[in-house]
Formats: sequence, structure tokens, C-alpha cells
Amino acid sequence: MRLRAQGLVKMFPGVRALDGVNLDLRPGTVHALLGENGAGKSTLIKVLTGVHRPDAGVVEVSEDDATWAPVTFGKPQDATAAGIGVVHQERNLVPRFSVAENIALQSMPRRHGVVDKSAMRALASRCLQQLDLHLDLNRPVAELSVAQMQLVEVAKALATDSRVLLLDEPTSTLTSQEADRLYAVVRRLRDDGACVVLVTHKLDEVFAIADTVTVLRDGRSVAEGRALSELSRSDVIDLMVGRSFADLQPDPTPPKDRSGIAALELAHVSTSVGHEDVSLTVHPGEIVGLYGLVGAGRSELARALLGLDDITSGSVLIRGQEARIRSVADALHRYGMGYVSENRKEEGVFLEQPVTRNVAVTVWRRLSAWGMVRDRSESVLLDTYVDRLGIRISGHKQLAGQLSGGNQQKISLAKWLAADCSILVIDEPTVGIDVRTKASFHTLIAELAAKGLAILLITSDLPEMVTLADRILVMHDRQLAGEVDNVAHDYAASSRQVVRYMHAEHVA
Amino acid sequence: MGEATLTSAPAAPPQEDSTTPSGLPWWANPRVGLLVVIVALVILFSALRPSFLNVDLTLVPMQADLSVFAIVGLAQLAVLSLGHMNLAVPRMAAVSAFAAGLTYDRLHAPLVVGLAVALVVGALIGALAGTIITTTGVNSFVVTLALDFGLLGLVSLLYAWATDGVAFAVHPAGMDALRFDTMNNYCAGPVCGPPVPLVVPIALVTVVAVGVLFRRSRVGREMLMTGSSLRAARLSGIPVTRRIIQAHALSGLLCGLAGFLLAINNGAFSATIGDQFLLPSFLAPVLGGTLLAGGAVSVLGTVLGATLTSVIQKGLNLLQFQLDQLQILIGVVLLLALSLDRVRHVLAERRGVRR
Amino acid sequence: MTSTTETAAVATQPRRSRLLGTEVILIAISVIAFVVLTVTTGGNLLQPGTIRAILQYLAVPLVIGLSQMVVLAVGQMNLSVGVLTGLSSVVAAGLMVDSGLSPWIAVPAALLVGAGVGLANGVLVVLTRINGFIVTLATMTIIAGLRYGVNGTGTYEGYSPGLVKLGRASVLGLPVVFLIALVVAIAVALYFRNTFSGRRLLASGGNPVAARLSGISNDRSLVVAHTISGLLAGIAGVLVLMLSGSVNASIGDDLLLPSFAAPIIGGVVLAGGVVSVLGTCLAAFVVRLVDVAQAQYNINPRWVDLVVGGVVLGAVLLSHGREGKDDS
Repeated sequence: MRLRAQGLVKMFPGVRALDGVNLDLRPGTVHALLGENGAGKSTLIKVLTGVHRPDAGVVEVSEDDATWAPVTFGKPQDATAAGIGVVHQERNLVPRFSVAENIALQSMPRRHGVVDKSAMRALASRCLQQLDLHLDLNRPVAELSVAQMQLVEVAKALATDSRVLLLDEPTSTLTSQEADRLYAVVRRLRDDGACVVLVTHKLDEVFAIADTVTVLRDGRSVAEGRALSELSRSDVIDLMVGRSFADLQPDPTPPKDRSGIAALELAHVSTSVGHEDVSLTVHPGEIVGLYGLVGAGRSELARALLGLDDITSGSVLIRGQEARIRSVADALHRYGMGYVSENRKEEGVFLEQPVTRNVAVTVWRRLSAWGMVRDRSESVLLDTYVDRLGIRISGHKQLAGQLSGGNQQKISLAKWLAADCSILVIDEPTVGIDVRTKASFHTLIAELAAKGLAILLITSDLPEMVTLADRILVMHDRQLAGEVDNVAHDYAASSRQVVRYMHAEHVA
Repeated sequence: MGEATLTSAPAAPPQEDSTTPSGLPWWANPRVGLLVVIVALVILFSALRPSFLNVDLTLVPMQADLSVFAIVGLAQLAVLSLGHMNLAVPRMAAVSAFAAGLTYDRLHAPLVVGLAVALVVGALIGALAGTIITTTGVNSFVVTLALDFGLLGLVSLLYAWATDGVAFAVHPAGMDALRFDTMNNYCAGPVCGPPVPLVVPIALVTVVAVGVLFRRSRVGREMLMTGSSLRAARLSGIPVTRRIIQAHALSGLLCGLAGFLLAINNGAFSATIGDQFLLPSFLAPVLGGTLLAGGAVSVLGTVLGATLTSVIQKGLNLLQFQLDQLQILIGVVLLLALSLDRVRHVLAERRGVRR
Repeated sequence: MTSTTETAAVATQPRRSRLLGTEVILIAISVIAFVVLTVTTGGNLLQPGTIRAILQYLAVPLVIGLSQMVVLAVGQMNLSVGVLTGLSSVVAAGLMVDSGLSPWIAVPAALLVGAGVGLANGVLVVLTRINGFIVTLATMTIIAGLRYGVNGTGTYEGYSPGLVKLGRASVLGLPVVFLIALVVAIAVALYFRNTFSGRRLLASGGNPVAARLSGISNDRSLVVAHTISGLLAGIAGVLVLMLSGSVNASIGDDLLLPSFAAPIIGGVVLAGGVVSVLGTCLAAFVVRLVDVAQAQYNINPRWVDLVVGGVVLGAVLLSHGREGKDDS
């Protein structure tokens, strides 16, 4: 089955998420779908799987490349019926249901309304066999590892005999061995005549496995089904970013003055969440990066620092004074330390509250007299940061949830700047933010440091880390594995060293 | 919306303005709808039964009832701000009223001391509920449900121990004045006050205080932020545990006040005080546009919601409807109000997007 | 119902064993309490009459608890269960006494009333997109009024002697009403365990996003859950009819709070996706034992509420522990 889409348009209030997308999916290929965050990939997947209805454009399928039948998707079942299966980025399993039941959920075998459990298990085990996977069919999926859940999701998509299979960031939570196993399955499916659409950020994987590529930029398809053999890595990056990659290389910065008292110092800190003997210093004006794999314990260290988990031994010194921080309120009001959360939507902003309150929440003590807050001073405060950070809002009462991700992140940062924090812990500042806003964020963070703030930066984005940090501390398994001097901001040199520390046990 | 101050914002997309709920047209505001319905009903009832406008028969008792139920609604609203519920509103009121009655009975205390005792006892029980919720992390619905069970038993045991089992016989000085007098009884020379019962100013002050709390004060706003997102609030330096306990304590305090006022209106501190509070406590805020999700409350809406139920009750009473028919109508009004609210919202949003 | 899948997955991991733990604890409590009661009352409890009375009056709380449990499974609440029980029984009694119909018509009519009101609840929740708590709060008010509409404050008695006799009859020493409740419980358990419809409800409650993407209509799950809840309330109404021999419009007023107590003690979580028929039944039994103890020791009946409140809180603290800490 060949599936093609032409001129797809999808509008959301204020945004054209898709603005003329063409797609051609041929059987027996692995097709990579690429694009920066916000380019429209997720929306395209949701249109192809019947979650969103496109405002314009057609989707057609054909068995013989001659006669095309248009398909209209009103609901997810329509996509399933048309032979399109999808593995979403979010875990879409029912935690308390068994492996077998989750796999069979879309096409549950039943007799007179009663679930035919043996047929259900047979179906599930057939799908698992296709993946060469051995799992206890009766285990609730909540007890599985994240990687196993991911594979169960793939098996679930196979259960409906999908001939077009969309995998949305399938390896983001897998180890490289697990990813290899998944890709072996992908190749097998392709050889059986299916079309596998791979949505990923990892270009290595794309070049290793995909045959053709479609690149989205700002809701448009800028490359449509081109053969990957004709393209180089930097060609693809240029297509995604829309300008030359060389622009992204920052200039070297002078080394920071580290002779004075450190703004933040951790001395031999151990925590209740498993960190051991972590020592680090951040001086005013410095950006210290904390890098490591997901699960290495970086955000957890930040949380312990803020009193959300316990520090069991060692000491935290703020401007040379021993600090006892039991809550974010302590960190903020007593020590002038702020935390920009990695989880913007749930921890960074209050989605259902107006932007004024989102920014003023940390400074209500200062803005109030006799316990009463003056609206006027809130507005003035907001305007200051709208100017300074270039936040795009349509009015003071606009709700934070109606802003774009980048503007939400700026709001989340603004509340700490408003509170005059001198130490900022910034956790994954640019996840899910488009390229341009990302660049403006980098400028902003560098400016804050230049003004004398001490910044501890946590990010999984290595280019971002190399662009911003003065020093990079590499965390491995809840311990610091090494420190990389990064004043040259030389991506090749720094990243090589970082990666070496990350796999410290192989070096030693 | 203060666009003038926004000129510095680079290229704010103007079309987004109309899609914001804050940019909804005025007629999509549930308070406006409530007001219209109340006025229409008052006109209807007075046309059908001119005695609806009779001061002594209708207006004065209605104001007294309304005062109690507005406070009851605010008691629920205090925790709705967090996205919590307080199912123990009836019994918190009952225990507080008992405490006041006991103070009068045993200590022969003046009226205001008993009121203070009722408020303190209510606030303490509320704080207890809040403390249990924050320390155990158990859903507020479950905690206050269990608390209501417990207090239900406690109240009758207490009345059995301290009185003949039903009510205190004591009548503190000033109680009758508070019950029967209106401002009309107090004259400065030839000018007398309006026919407003003396409990109304008490309720009015409370309403204003709660309104100011949630609209202007730091503590109230922090409660709303906590209700909007507990995790974001904690990570913004808001002392969320304290705010949750305070909101529940406020709820308990308002229950105490409602129990006290009802006892005054009834003329006795009895075991049945608060029995009828649970439904109105949700009815008034929900009619007024406060949803259960937390993060937003409407104090004015709560007062209007309480007014609407009181007007319906008194009007149908005059038209000689039975209690059961009344209940049916109030339920239908609630459903209609909510559905209309929904329709209005959808319409307004659609209009905004098209523009 | 809005928590992300990942957090749900993490949160559920220990829940399975905890739920099992709840049931084991409840069995232990039931047995211990029963033995203690038996010993301290000098074996009085073991007399056939006493046992029969215990089980007879367990039937209604048990079915009502299940009625609430079904909506909790999809993350909803039903505040109208109590008054709906009352309405069903009054309607059936009215049909027999006033209209002179046979119980063969009146009983199905009661069930129909229950299911119909439940259906209306579900449809309203889906159509208005308003929280089920508020919708059923409104319908509860309406039904409370309708109950009085049938016969005012009057009492129906002397209807169908056969039905009342059946209500007091026993088979193998077990009261018929209790057996009916038991059959209902088994049916509900089988429904959630084996039928596609039941699994769909649990999928909608456990992860609505995953359910929707798997082609399950969450709206339909809500409607089905509310309808079944109403039907069970109707069954409870019939049981009341059989047990008491006379019914009036005040029936059901005191059933709402116990309807939450049984499933909550039994380990069902308010967030949805979890049911425990065994836990709910055991919890109803434990609450019933509190009543029995009150009667046996001649305690002030008001102590019962106090103790039940303590048990609800204690059970929740024991079994739910950290659950909901972040979204309480």
C-alpha cells in the first residue's frame, strides 16, 4: 500500500501548524520524517492517525500506484482500519492491564462481548514473536521497564496489521542495544513490504536505517521523499535549520574570574536519592554545565539542592556561608537562588493563570503592602520583562497556557529574574522550542551570566552545552566523573572529552 | 486589557486577543446571567404574589437566610480555590455551634465571646482536615468524608452529654435582638435604618473580606496558584503546605460563622444545625461559576448563587409549592445554568476564533 | 484523569500489591472482628438468627457500594445513588399499591428507573462536559424531590406479600436478599474481569488517552458506567422493598456517604482505572460489623458514625499512603 498526502494544512488559533505538507510513503521503505521542534512533525502524525482533521489537503492510498482512493480520518479507528499504525511518543498503555491485553486492545478478540482470553494471548504472542521479544504475557505493563513498554507499543501497532507504521521518537528512552534490536525489527518489517516512518532527532540512526527522507520546516515540507543516499549530513541539517550550520559555532569567551568567593559551592554532598560525594563551585558570572545521560542524576541533584530531596551529608555554601535549604521558598527568600524547571508545563508555569501572576508569583512579598498586592505594580513588573526578554503576549490577562512554548519558558525564567536571584539553576531550558527562539535563549543566558549571575546549567543538548558553558561537569551514575574546560566553545574538542568522561568506566 | 502599556511588546499577534477567555464578551460572564435571572424571577414572583415584596413576611427573612447560605457557599469556596472539597461543612458548622452554645450555657459568656469560640473551633477543625490532607497526601474528598462521619457521631454524643440531647436552652443576651431586629429599629432622630436584619452586615463584611483575600492579598493569591498547579507553586517558592492548611482553616472558620448565624436565625443552638448545609455549599459557588478544578473562584458569583436559590425558595414557598417540587426546580436550575454556561463559552470562543 | 501516562505508570507500580494487601488486611480485620465479637458476646453472634440479620442488612450497603465503585472505575462520582435507591423503591411500591400491578412488572420498573436515571446522568456528563460530581449533585437534588412526588411523605405498606416473604426467606441458612447481593457482586466482578465492555471502562479510567487512541470511546465508557451504577441503585431499591415491608420517600438519605465508604476502604482509588469487588464487599462487611457491635453492646448508635469515619480514614492511610500526594 502506498500512501500520499498533498497540501495538508492544519490551523490552530494563531498558528499554522501545517502549511502545505506533501508526503509520499512507498511500501518497502524506511522513511525518515525530520524537522526541528515545532516544525509540525507531531501535528502531521496526528493528522495521519486521525487525531486531528486537516483544514485542507488530501490523503490518498493506492494498491497499484494507478488508482488512488482518498481516505478521510475522523477518529483514530479510521487510521487503524486504513492500515496505519502508530507508536506515539507518550506511553499509551493502560498501566494495570497485562502485556497481552495492551497489545490486543485495539482489536480485542471476543465472543458475545466476552473477551476471548486465549485468542487475545495468541494474538499478543504472535506480535511479540514478530519482534523476537520474550515477555510474560500476563504481567501488568506497569511492572515493565521503559524500554519494554516501548516494545510493547510497537507490538500493539503490529496487532492491527499495519502496513504503514509510524514510530515517533522510538529510541529516545532506549539503550543502544535496545535501539539496535528495535531497528532490526524495523528492517524486517520493511523487507516484508511495510512502510516504516521514523520520526527522530538522532541523525546517526536516520543515516543508518532510513532510505528516504521528508524534512519539515515551519509547517512546510522542504524536502519531499528524497533518497538519503544523495544527501550528506550537513545537507540534512541545513534543510532542517534553514541556514548554514557554521553560524551556530560561538566565539571563544575569556576565562571567568574565579578568585573570589563562590556564589554556590557543594562540598562532598551526598543525597537521599543516591548522589555520593559531589563537589562543585559556581562563581558569579560563570555558567557551569552539568551534563550526563538521562538518569545520571542531574535534575535530581538540583532538586536536592532546593530542598525537595534530602542532603544526607556534606555541605552547601552560598556566598561562603553554610546554607540549610528546606524548600524552594527558603532558596528564594533566604539565599536568592532560583530554579527554572525542565518540566515547563507542570512545574514552570501556571497554565491557567494570567501572565502577570505567573511572573509576579515570586515577588508578591515585595509588591504587597499589609499583605495586599497592587495590580499596578504587577503590570509594571510584567512590562519590564516583556521588554527585556522579548516575550510575546497579547495582553496582561492572557493565560500562560495560551503562549507558545518559548514564551512560556521566558515567563518561567522571568519570575526568577524578577526576584533578583543571584544564583540560577536552569534545567533543560530549550526542550521543545524552535531554533530561532533557542538561539535567543542562548544569548539571554549568556547575558545574564555577563551581568554577574551564577548559573548552573543542566541540559541534554550537547551543542547547547558547548555553546553556553564555561566549564562542563560530567555526571555519571550520580557522581561527578570529570570536568571539561570549555572556554574555547570548540564543539569537536569539548564533546569528545565529555563523551569520554560519560563512559568513564571504559577509560579506567 | 491595557494595550496601551504594551506598545513596547514587539509585534504581539493581535488576533490572539479575542480567543483568550479573559477576552470573552461580557455576556459570557456567568455572573451577568445570574443577575438577569434573579431580577427576572423577582419581577415574576412579585407579579404573581405581591406579598413577595412584603418586608416583614418575605424580604427580611429572605435576607437572613441568604446571609447564612452565602457564608456556607464561601466555606466551600475557600477549599474549591485549591481544587479541594470539604464534605464536612455541615458537621464543622454543627461542632462550632455546639462550642458556642456550651460557652453561653456554662460560662454565661456575652454573645461576641461565643461567636469567637465558634470561629476558633471551626478554624481548628478545618486546620486539622488540612493537616491530615497535607501530611498523608490523601485526597481531600476522602479525608473530609471520613471527618464528617466522625464529627456526625461526635455532635450527637456532645449534645447528649451537655444538654437534654437536642439543644441548649440558654439564650445569651443580645441573641433575640440579633434575631428579630432590623436596622429599621434603630433610629437617629427621625431617620431610621433600612429594613435589613442585623445578621446581614456581618455576612456582608465577611463576603468583602473573603473577596479581598482572593483578589488582592498575597495569601489568597498563593492559595489560587496552589490550586492551579501544586507542583509549579511549590517550585515557585510558595509555602504550599501552609496555604493548604490555611484554606481549610478558613473553610472551617466560615462553617463556624454559618453555624452561629443559623443558630441565631433559628433561635437555638441545636444538634440539627448544619444538616442542610452540604448541598447549598456546592450550589452557590458552582452556580456562580466556580469550578471544581481549583485556581479560580468567584466570591460575587457565590453570593449571587446563594441569592438565586433563596429567591427561588421564597418565591415558590409563596406560590405554595411543596419542598419536593422546590428541590426539583433547584436541581433543574443548576443543570440549566451549567449547560448554558457551557453553551455561552463555546459560542463566545467560536466567535472569537472566527473574527 | 489528566495525569501523564508516565507518572501513572510509576504510581501504579506498587499499587497492585497494595490492593492485594488491602484485601488481605480486610479479610484479617473481618475475621478478627468477628471472632472478638463472638467471644465477647458469649457466642450470641453465632446464633442463626443473628447471623441471618447481619447478612440481611449487609445486602443494601453492599450493592450501593458496588454502584459507587462502578463510576469510580472511570474516575467519576455518583452523588445520586442514595436518593435513586429511594426513588426506585418508592416507584415500585407505588406501582403495586396505587396501580395494583404485580411485582413482576413493578420490580423491572424499579430497575428501569434506576438504569434510566443513570443513563441520564451519563449523557449529561458527556454532553455538558461538566464534572460528574456537579452533574450528579444536580440530579441528586432533582431525584430527592421526585421521590416525594410519588406519594408525598406517606408510607406504602402491604404491597406484594410474596416479595416481602421472599425478602425474609432463607436458603441453606443464608437470607435470599444477601444471596441476591452476592450474585450481583459476582456479576459485577465477572463484568469487569471478562467482558470487553468492562475492560473498556477500566481502560478509559486507567489511561483515557491510550483508550481513545485504541479506538475506545471514553464518552461511551462514562455513559455505560453511569447506567450500570444507576441499575445497581435500582437493585438496591428492590432489596429495600423486600427487606422492610414498608417504604417512604425518606429512603436513601443515609446511603450516600456509606456508598463511598465501602469502595474507598476496599482499596478503590478515586482517580479511576481500579476496581476491587472483593475489597468493596469486605469493607461493607466490616462496616456492618461496627453496626452489629453497637447493637450487641447497646452503645449509643452515634458511635457508629465516629468509628466508621475512623475506619475510612485509617484504611485510606494504611493502603493508599502516598497515592495522590501530588494531586490531592
